[in-house]
Amino acid sequence: MSRLRRRASLALSVTAGLALLAAGCGGGDDDSTGLPADQQNAAGEGDGSPSGTGDGIRLGILGQCEGPFGGFHEDVVAGTTLALARFAGATPNSTTSALEGFSGAEVAGTPIELVGIGCGDDTADRIVQEVRRLVEQLGANVIIGPLSGDEGIAIAEYAKANPELTVFAGISGSQEQTLQVQAPNYFRFYGDGAIWSAGLGDLLHNQEGWDTVAVIADDYSFGHTSAAGFIADFCAVGGEVTHRVFPPLGTTDYSSYIAQLPNPDEVDGYFWAVGGTGTQAALEAFVNGKGDLTGDQHAGNLFFNPDLAQALGTDIAGAYVGGFATLPGDVRTPEIEEYLAAADETWETIPGSLSGNEPAPPSVAAAFGFFYGYYTAGVALVESLEAVGGDISDLDAFHEAIAGLTLDLPYGDISLDENRSGIVDVGLSRLVLDESGEVVQETVAIVPGVDQTFGGTFSPDTPSPGRDFPACEERDLPWVGNAIPVVDGVPQS
Amino acid sequence: MTPALTDAERGFQRSRVTRLRRPPVWVATVVVVAVAAWVLFLADGAPAGAAVDDPGKFLVTVLDGVTFAGLLFVAASGFTLIFGLMRTVNMAHGSLFLLAAYVAIRVQEAMVGRSRNIDPADVGLLDWLVPLLAGAGVAAVLGLAIQQVFLQWNEGQEMRQTLLTLAITVVLADQMLREFGGLAQRVVWPGAVTHFFSIMGERYAVTRLVMLGIAVLVGVLLWLWLNRTSVGMVIRAGVDDRQMVRGLGINIRRVFALTFLVGSFLAGVGGVLGASFAGAAPGTDGSWLLNALVVVIIGGLGSLKGAAAGSLLYGTVVAFSPAYLPSQYSYYAIIMTFGLLALVLAVRPYGLFGRPA
Amino acid sequence: MNLRERVTGETLALAGLVLLLVLLPSLATAFFVNFVMTQTLILGLAAATIVFLARYGGMTSLAQLLMFGIAGFMFGNAALDGGARGLNLGWHPWAAVVFAIVVTTLVAFVLGAIASRTTGIYFLMLTLVYGVIGYFVFAQIVEISGPGGITSIQRPDLLGPPVRLYYAGLLLSVLAYVGFRAIRRTAFGLALQGVRDDPVRMASLGFNVPLHRALAFTLAGFAAGLAGLLNVWWNGQIDPASISIGPTLILLIIAVIGGISSLEGAWLGAFVYVLVFTYLRDLPLVDRIGITEARFNTVIGVIVLAIMVLSPEGLTGIARRLPVRTTRKELGGTRA
Repeated sequence: MSRLRRRASLALSVTAGLALLAAGCGGGDDDSTGLPADQQNAAGEGDGSPSGTGDGIRLGILGQCEGPFGGFHEDVVAGTTLALARFAGATPNSTTSALEGFSGAEVAGTPIELVGIGCGDDTADRIVQEVRRLVEQLGANVIIGPLSGDEGIAIAEYAKANPELTVFAGISGSQEQTLQVQAPNYFRFYGDGAIWSAGLGDLLHNQEGWDTVAVIADDYSFGHTSAAGFIADFCAVGGEVTHRVFPPLGTTDYSSYIAQLPNPDEVDGYFWAVGGTGTQAALEAFVNGKGDLTGDQHAGNLFFNPDLAQALGTDIAGAYVGGFATLPGDVRTPEIEEYLAAADETWETIPGSLSGNEPAPPSVAAAFGFFYGYYTAGVALVESLEAVGGDISDLDAFHEAIAGLTLDLPYGDISLDENRSGIVDVGLSRLVLDESGEVVQETVAIVPGVDQTFGGTFSPDTPSPGRDFPACEERDLPWVGNAIPVVDGVPQS
Repeated sequence: MTPALTDAERGFQRSRVTRLRRPPVWVATVVVVAVAAWVLFLADGAPAGAAVDDPGKFLVTVLDGVTFAGLLFVAASGFTLIFGLMRTVNMAHGSLFLLAAYVAIRVQEAMVGRSRNIDPADVGLLDWLVPLLAGAGVAAVLGLAIQQVFLQWNEGQEMRQTLLTLAITVVLADQMLREFGGLAQRVVWPGAVTHFFSIMGERYAVTRLVMLGIAVLVGVLLWLWLNRTSVGMVIRAGVDDRQMVRGLGINIRRVFALTFLVGSFLAGVGGVLGASFAGAAPGTDGSWLLNALVVVIIGGLGSLKGAAAGSLLYGTVVAFSPAYLPSQYSYYAIIMTFGLLALVLAVRPYGLFGRPA
Repeated sequence: MNLRERVTGETLALAGLVLLLVLLPSLATAFFVNFVMTQTLILGLAAATIVFLARYGGMTSLAQLLMFGIAGFMFGNAALDGGARGLNLGWHPWAAVVFAIVVTTLVAFVLGAIASRTTGIYFLMLTLVYGVIGYFVFAQIVEISGPGGITSIQRPDLLGPPVRLYYAGLLLSVLAYVGFRAIRRTAFGLALQGVRDDPVRMASLGFNVPLHRALAFTLAGFAAGLAGLLNVWWNGQIDPASISIGPTLILLIIAVIGGISSLEGAWLGAFVYVLVFTYLRDLPLVDRIGITEARFNTVIGVIVLAIMVLSPEGLTGIARRLPVRTTRKELGGTRA
């Protein structure tokens, strides 16, 4: 019965459809002519740029306007814009926001046109859709971004499937996007979540005398990666990790997880990689269950960064903090001063995340990692274009030029390893109270030349960092003993 | 449609149908006994160890469960109050919760005079109570506005109301991200209550007991309001039979508005408590809407008693599963929490104290 | 006579639409076909299962995205070989398809059976909790996914070119639409609608009410699983965030935009959602009034709010109320 009816209705659809063909075509034409018009609309925003799309750079930036990092949308777009303003002659279209785009960017005769800004929400699904919109609808041939870990893996996979594209990662911190995915057109000019914990173990074990440590980290990729970097480093120099606790994301009451940690007299210290509301909530649960915080018994990854964790109480002062792309504000070399001054000259104000998305001097945002990661990507784009004389018709040569770059950047030189991931300097710092009673960072050391393999702990053949990986093993790390001490903001090298 | 059957008759028949098949009751009993035996005597491989071996840790876990249940109760009581009378599932409950938290944070920052790294020692009792009332007040007013503008005129269309509040949630979440940014913030407990005491060799925080105390206070006040005042009686009568209340000539619209105001105020109180306990950030709204849902699904929608029972049960499972699951399974603690739900619903589809709508 | 005319008219219009969609790849840009329309068909198919349950079973389900996700995860686990996460069974893609659909259907039956005694708002909330359990199952159990999800999922060779994925979506959508409509008049469909209208009477007539609900839920889960397969082929990856509470609510919103009691509304809702998502921020006007792309959720929320204020039947409900070419008498007939 129903089969018969279906067949009848299918037959009906064909005849009916043929009858409607003329009308259908009309409608279809409307659709197809409407679309390119949309494209031109969006593309034409950078006015005055030549419309010939053949050999120019059509740039798309992937940010996040929703989700936990939604407040950093302005910061990351401003990062890339500043690089193009400094080195490619770009002029921002607004003096109070980077999201309005820029015009007039050109390197070695090749124009750089911003075709669109992708709006992620911290999920891989969404960022893939955003990059497809930028590339397949708006015709982007260079992408700068994304911002967060899982997004990075998804975009690297997308790059691998679309070899005609060139991607400079934004500030996404997962290891796999370069180490495992191995897309030849995906470049990362900054560290990763594990790298930003490097050197901390060396410092704590050899300088502060920690032999045992308990690790508590968010139970997802970035928490695992941060913990993995710390564990690899701390164990390499002979320390021992006694506990690993991974509370799930979205935990409200951390007390039962804190109860799984050893007491303060049973262990030399604790390493924390708990983000968002958890940073403070977990510490408070610790105070409730284990005893008062004595800062020097604690260390954390970038989640302890006082700009990110503004809700932290003052009793955390004394804790050590891993790095995050830039250096804390107490280090002021001439290059850094110049970079921050350039940011302040480019805009009057930028409503970045650190100022609660209220207008603030652009240098506030520029001194922080999210802005800076996108800045390094922009600089890499400019310098690679210069290296090939503005000619990107030979993509292999263009990619080779990028892979061979060594960028001279305000917070330290950056070059790429064979997986096209950054070899960077990591700044370690300590939380202290300033005169107004606010928690600030004081730089204690700079660890030069950290790469993502950690002397072989991580390789394309090892699993992704997880709850049990890596194991705690001694091994030679290239950077152990090379840390440059920093006293009162001045590196002692 | 069968006009012959009234709602009441239908509900009666349905509950009889449910009562006929209840093998899950003894399944639940067996599960409860097994869990108790495990926690008390057998849990050697668990992070906390068996209760007879380490009574201190056991006691602390019980306290953790009960105090967290207090917070859950405050967060869920307004939700269940609104549902009980109006049959509206207020999906904006989490948004009101988060908004109150943000407002309280701003007010507290202004009162203390600094915006970051606030120390409890600098926070007086008033610096906490005023933000609490301000935050909850803003939530109450917004809740009332939502009810007046979007829910009053389509009363009885439950699904439509649910979807309306859902849409409001989407808008509010986005606007709060714009206004308050994405970084985690918190309300700081007053210095007067940030103390600790010792119990069986374990340290315990006074703030958690304060949280429980506020929850008990809220519960008692609500009970008095519903049982000792004429408005409360109208509300209870309305829960049982709205048509009858209307028939008696009572202006039920005003009662609805009042209920929504109180329910939203409670969401706000929960939000400020929650932000003192665990902080506030984008996403907090969703997770607390979920917490409230879980509590009332366990306890039964619309029942204050149910909200109390649901909070206790949920709080207990949240505290016990990470501590008493064998170590290699402790990652699945959060799944356990929801396993509890499945268990309850298998025995009682409308929750412990609920009735069919 | 009147009846046949009406059916023919409606079928004609839909057939014309299908033909237009068949011809679309030669009429529109690749992006419009492979991105906008493919996503529309995938989301529409998934949302149609919500509509099916709501319209014929009286159950508004928030667990359909979970079914969608389970199919995706299971396919990834079965088909991948040597990936960083998951079971890496390395099966033949079509064996993985069968596995994914079987698992999804089984899970749907079990969950449907547990939920079969609840209705209305209770059912909505219970299925929301299902969604959350599903999220945590995939986030916490690293053997089958873990928080990072499963990446580099390839589609079967048969569906290699993107446009074939579009046609697969179109085919499955048409089949689901015709199938769901056909079920309406089967014995099962009639009993299901009876259960929706009066469970007590159906029970006293000897129908197994919970079983009918569970089977409807199973069928919806099966169809949602098909959409989920298309989705992982289209997206190339799936992770727990893909089935978290946000996207779960979005799928319901899609069904609501189109009209929760109209099957074709599911695809209409998906189309509107994807259009707004993709093109709204390109309009110069939008920037001027301050709703930038960064406030996309506000726009979506306001649209849903407006639709729900205007008509609980969504866009199709609004369209039906407008005095268009079709006469009111015909409309009344469609409803009956």
